Amino acid sequence: MLQGIQLVKSARGQKIIDNVDVQLEPGQISVIIGPSGSGKTTLIKLLALLEKPDSGKIVIDDHQYQFPAERNELPPWPEITVVFQQLFLWPHLTLLQNIKLPLMLRSKWHRSVERRASVAPTSNASTTNVQPVEQRRLDDLIELFDMQSFVQRYPNEASLGQRQRAALVRALVLQPRYLLLDEITSSLDVEQISIILSYLKRLSKKGIGVLIVTHLLNFAREAADRVIFMDAGRIIESGGREVLDSPSQERVKKFLSVIESAS
Amino acid sequence: MYVSGGNDEHIIGRRIGGALRDDCRKTQSNAGIMSVFDILITYQSAFANGLLTTFQLALMIWLIGLTGGSLLGSIGARWKIFVGIPSRVISFTLSGVPILVFLFWLHYPLQQLLGVVIDPFITAALTLSIINVFAVADVIRGVLLDFPSQYIIAGKVCGMTSSQILVHIQLPIVLRQTVPVLLMIQVNMLQATLFASLISVNEIFRVAQQINSHIYKPVEVYTALGLLFLAICLPLNGLALWLKAKFTRDFSER
Repeated sequence: MLQGIQLVKSARGQKIIDNVDVQLEPGQISVIIGPSGSGKTTLIKLLALLEKPDSGKIVIDDHQYQFPAERNELPPWPEITVVFQQLFLWPHLTLLQNIKLPLMLRSKWHRSVERRASVAPTSNASTTNVQPVEQRRLDDLIELFDMQSFVQRYPNEASLGQRQRAALVRALVLQPRYLLLDEITSSLDVEQISIILSYLKRLSKKGIGVLIVTHLLNFAREAADRVIFMDAGRIIESGGREVLDSPSQERVKKFLSVIESAS
Repeated sequence: MYVSGGNDEHIIGRRIGGALRDDCRKTQSNAGIMSVFDILITYQSAFANGLLTTFQLALMIWLIGLTGGSLLGSIGARWKIFVGIPSRVISFTLSGVPILVFLFWLHYPLQQLLGVVIDPFITAALTLSIINVFAVADVIRGVLLDFPSQYIIAGKVCGMTSSQILVHIQLPIVLRQTVPVLLMIQVNMLQATLFASLISVNEIFRVAQQINSHIYKPVEVYTALGLLFLAICLPLNGLALWLKAKFTRDFSER
C-alpha cells in the first residue's frame, strides 16, 4: 500500500499541503481532482519522494519514510513512478530511446548482479540491450498506443499528444507497483484517452495502484475506484465515484458544476 | 630559459634568428620580387619554428584552461557562494582588463614587485591560461546552473542512479551545449597568443616581425601570417560550427 500520513509541506511561509492523509491500495485507481494550485502535483511529488514533506510519514509497501528524516533512505524508484504534466522527456534522445534507456540500464544492472553472483544469465540478454520479455512488452505498448509512425522522432519533433503517449509508455514499460499520473490526458484525443483508460484498468487488475490527477470528469467517472477532492492543500472530500455525482461539500459541488458547464 | 628584458638579438640568435638568417641568405638576391608564397616558402623554417612556439603556447593554454575551467565551473555551480560568486567576480573583472595590459602587468610590474625573473613564455602561458580558465568556467557553470532539473527528476523516477543520470542524461546534454562554445573560445585563445610577441616570446607573430625587419615587405609578410592563421583557425572554426550544427539541436518543443 502507498500511504501518506499527516503530510505537511510549506513554501514561502504558506502551507501548500496541510495535514493530508491519503492512501492508495494495490490494484486501485484513485483520482484526485481540484482547482489549480490546490496542491495536487505537490502531493504526487511527496508520495513519490521527489520532495520531502516538512512532517508526516510515507509508507510504500515495506518502506517507511518518517519526516523530518533522520537519515536518507533510497526511494524505491521505479517501483513507484510518475508521469508529469510537463512530461520531462530527455531532449537529446528520440522518443524510442527515451523509453528504452531506463530499461536498458535496468537490464545492464540485472546482468551485472547475475555476474557478481556467478549465476548463469536468465536469458540471452547479454547479447541484447533489453531483456526479451521487456522488449515484447515495449513492442506491445508501442503498438497499443499507435506510436510506430513517430517513435523515432525527437521530443521537439513530436506533437504534445505524441509526447504524452511516449512519457506514459516510458513509465508503463517499467511495470511500477504504483503509478502516479499528473494530468497526462490533457492533450490526448478521445480515442487515446479511451485506450489509456482501458490500459489503466488492465494494470489495476494486475494489482498496480494508479493515482491520477485530472480535470476530465468523464475520465474520472470511468476510471476511479476512489475520488479525492483537494482544495488549498487539504482533502475536502473523498470517497467512491459517487463523490462526482453527489458531493456532500459545497466547495466540491461548486467546482464540479463549473467544470461540467465548461465542458 | 630566456631572461626577461634581456638582449632580444641574443634570443633570436639562439632559436629563431638562426633559421631566419639561413633563409635570408638563400634569397637575398631576389628579395625585390618576392610574393606572399615566396615568403612562406623562403622563410619556412623560421615560420615553422614560430608556429611550433605558438602551438606549444596554445597547447599549454588549452590544457590548463579546459581542465582548470571545467573544474572551477563545476565546483562553482555546486558551491555558489564560496566558489561560484568569487569566480564570477574575478571573471567579470578580467573581462574589463585588456589582455595586453594584463600580460604586461604580470610580466613587468609584478615580477619587479616580487623580485623574480620568469621566462616570458611561461608568463604568457600563465596569463592566457588564467583568462582561459575563467572563460571556460563561466560557460561550464552557466550550463550546469541552467540545467533543467526535470530531466534529472525523470531519470530518478525511472529508477536511474545518480551516476547513470550523470553519464546518460546530464553529460550528453551539457557537452552538446558547451563543446562548440568552448571550441570557439580556444580559437580566440590561439589568436591571443600573438600578444606574447610583445614580451619577447618568439611565436609566429614575432617571427613575422623579424622577417619584415629583414626584407621590409609588410604587406606580403603579414598577409603570409594571415594565411597561416586562416589555415589553422578556419578548420577549427569549421569544426566548432559543424559540432554546433550536429549536436546543438533546437530542443524547444512544439
